[in-house]
Amino acid sequence: MRSMPMDRVLIIDDDAELCELLAARMSGEGFDIEAVQDGNRGLERALSCEHSLVVLDLMLPGMGGLDVLRQLRTQSPIPVLVLTARGEDVDRIVGLEIGADDYLSKPFNPRELIARIRAILRRTIRVAAGTNPLVVGDIRLDRASREARVQSRLISLTSVEFALLEMLMQRAGQIVTREELTEGVLGRKLGPFDRVIDVHMSNIRKKLGMNQELERIKAIRGSGYLLVVRAETK
Amino acid sequence: MKFTIQSLFLKIFFWFWATAIVTGIALVITFIFGPGRVPSRWHSTLTDTARFSGLIVLAKLEQGGVPTASSSIESFEHDTQLRACLFELSGNPVAGKSCETFADMRSRASISRSTQFGVKYGLVRVALVLHGRGAHDYIYATELPAGPRAAFGMNRAEVALRLLVAFSVSGVICYLLTIYLTGPILRLREVAQQLAQGKLSTRATPIIERRGDELGALARDFNTMADHIQELISTQRQLILDISHELRSPLARLNVALDLAKEGKAGNLPFDRMESDLTRLDEMIGRLLMIAKVDTASMPVEMKSVDLTEIVGQIVDDARFEAQKRDVVVVIEAREHYHVRGNAELLHSAIENIVRNAVRYTSVGTSVEVSLKREDNSQLSIEIRDHGNGVPDNELGRIFQPFHRVAEARDRESGGVGLGLAIADRIVRLHGGFIRAENIQPSGLKILIEIPS
Repeated sequence: MRSMPMDRVLIIDDDAELCELLAARMSGEGFDIEAVQDGNRGLERALSCEHSLVVLDLMLPGMGGLDVLRQLRTQSPIPVLVLTARGEDVDRIVGLEIGADDYLSKPFNPRELIARIRAILRRTIRVAAGTNPLVVGDIRLDRASREARVQSRLISLTSVEFALLEMLMQRAGQIVTREELTEGVLGRKLGPFDRVIDVHMSNIRKKLGMNQELERIKAIRGSGYLLVVRAETK
Repeated sequence: MKFTIQSLFLKIFFWFWATAIVTGIALVITFIFGPGRVPSRWHSTLTDTARFSGLIVLAKLEQGGVPTASSSIESFEHDTQLRACLFELSGNPVAGKSCETFADMRSRASISRSTQFGVKYGLVRVALVLHGRGAHDYIYATELPAGPRAAFGMNRAEVALRLLVAFSVSGVICYLLTIYLTGPILRLREVAQQLAQGKLSTRATPIIERRGDELGALARDFNTMADHIQELISTQRQLILDISHELRSPLARLNVALDLAKEGKAGNLPFDRMESDLTRLDEMIGRLLMIAKVDTASMPVEMKSVDLTEIVGQIVDDARFEAQKRDVVVVIEAREHYHVRGNAELLHSAIENIVRNAVRYTSVGTSVEVSLKREDNSQLSIEIRDHGNGVPDNELGRIFQPFHRVAEARDRESGGVGLGLAIADRIVRLHGGFIRAENIQPSGLKILIEIPS
């Protein structure tokens, strides 16, 4: 459990005025905002382990937002919420594939931003810490140390991926709907054409790998996902 | 290729073919049915031949009577496909099936009692007087294998085969000729349809383009047109993308500022920011309208003689006020009143954008120099130079594109919406001039405008 009273959020966006306004708006909501205008410096700060979450503008000049995210993900599971340009779906999908946890398109309503940040933080930082490890088949989630292992091999999951896998493991063998996953992990309603959960699931599947040449997570068309329980797994 | 009755292909093809066939037929008709004369140098040979066969018939007649003579003529007709007839001098046919066809010649021969020559149905015919036994005279008339029809062949099947060959050869030639003419038109049409469907990169193939005829010229013009349209549309599309992108930043700030104002905790900050963003949006819209005005050639711009020196003087006076705040001096140098043909309002806007940019980016405490010169009889040049950091060399060409900001200039403290130079560029080009930028040593940027006077 974190002891700090305020959540430190790092905003990487080249629009200094926007950062200033966001800092003013969010300080009233219990967030401590640090704003950085360029990508290199932003990456450096994001890796400092001083923040609970990063808000990253994908349209950064110089070192682009996607590059920052790619490099950040090689070293840190910190939750990242990306800001994308409305209508540029490619950026959004690529952002999620690289490891962003959620996205918001600009211009956005600040209350929406705050709600999403809260949801991610609630799910990834506070819940379940200190409880017993979850074990399903050869997958083991150590919730206290936030470690995930497959056949005792350590795999690196982002915070949101960890939370999604946790939900599936708690109800192993049952279908968990996309609505439940979106609400439970991202703290919001599933929107139309919302592929966020699917991108995360595909990332988790890749990281878990195959079990005896079978998918560990089954996509149930039209409803949701299911973690397969096999009797013969060790 | 799909043909309809209306299609140019069928029209051209059938007209060519019909022309070829009709010409051929007309030629044959005049040969065969036209009145022909038998050259006199052939007369003795033809007479000998006719007399020879005539004497045979006559001998048969005297030997075995009319039936023998008739069968002799019939077998001659069957063997040679030529007709013949034996008459009494009075005109009564003695032997032969088609004696009426020779009636004309016979009467002439019996009157003149001399050999008659003629050409009918493409064959030479001869009528001559034969002296039989006992001073009994006969007239023998026959066709002979000479004349145009002899050249075509006597057999009907053979004639039909030759006609068929003539038809198909002329048909193939006409088909190829038509393909040669209409093929490029059809291909060009396909390209035009694809272009109309929005595939703007479609062009007529080099094969058509290389043709030296009118179709080649048409294809080249078509490609030039397509290039132009593609460039225009992609510029417009890029502009729209850029606009929507640029609108996002002020809107994002307004959203946050509005929310902050609703919370009521931040004092005047959100209101000040909203005001400055609204001003910025207003300015952007004004400039975009200006670009649209200059871009669309549909709206004629009023051109008249304009005193450029006066316009530049006004701009410099206005800029000085702003320059004072940054401790910048604006200097103007002009020897006389230079006049150009143009639109005063547009030129004012173009030059003002550049001068303001210079004042904005020159280093604090330096100067901005504006000079007007006559280059030669036809060109006026305006030079605006500042003493700022200049622009990276690789971006010099792009600073005239809408919304292009040099990376370092992106901090919005410096203001501006990134349209000033784009507008200036369009206006100068509208006046038939050009604009370019270059870095100067040791530091600074020089913008050079040339306008025909």
